[in-house]
Amino acid sequence: MSNLRARMLDLLKVQCKLFSTTYNPDGIRAGNKILRQRLRGPALAAYYPRKAPGINELQKEFANLELLVEDLAADDRLEHITALKARGKSAPKKKKGPTADKKR
Amino acid sequence: MSMFRAKKFDLGCFANVKTIRDHSKRKAFEAAEPERQALRYMVRNTTLPQRTRAVAQLQLTQMHCYTRPTQIRNRCILGGKGRGVLRDFKMTRFNFRMQALQGNIPGVKKASW
Repeated sequence: MSNLRARMLDLLKVQCKLFSTTYNPDGIRAGNKILRQRLRGPALAAYYPRKAPGINELQKEFANLELLVEDLAADDRLEHITALKARGKSAPKKKKGPTADKKR
Repeated sequence: MSMFRAKKFDLGCFANVKTIRDHSKRKAFEAAEPERQALRYMVRNTTLPQRTRAVAQLQLTQMHCYTRPTQIRNRCILGGKGRGVLRDFKMTRFNFRMQALQGNIPGVKKASW
């Protein structure tokens, strides 16, 4: 009978080696089930959609490839401001230096 | 816990402080997961000396709470709500209904029988 058990254990050992599992015939709690678990972090961290790159990032990214990315909204705005300036209707310049004390 | 928050805002969905916090927790957990698993292994391993296991248990409990997976909660990506969120669509039931009726969710249509 003991011969049979030894043979079974040998078989188990070979099996473990083949399928690269841990040989643990006595069922000792060695915590291997923790090592077998897959990491859940990447899947959990990918839950919320990440921010897509904006025009500024694209401009920076393509600048070293000497490619121009046109920001149409910004161009429109600048054009509008230059038109206002030409008519003398633009915003006043920012004051420099400390502001004068207000009278109460 | 501002040290876990991304230095540059990186959420592409609805964001309020709760979703940002949850996102930070997810990233903190991802970063700390190997360490946590190593400690968990040491705690469960009965072949290690008792003292080592106790120290590992202590270290595990003393890790920051943001690195714990139980702190993570699925929130709605359209409204940030934390309850009634359908896991498959990452949306609350009401947002899911609205999006589905508008036909924004592929493969979902209203059934009636």
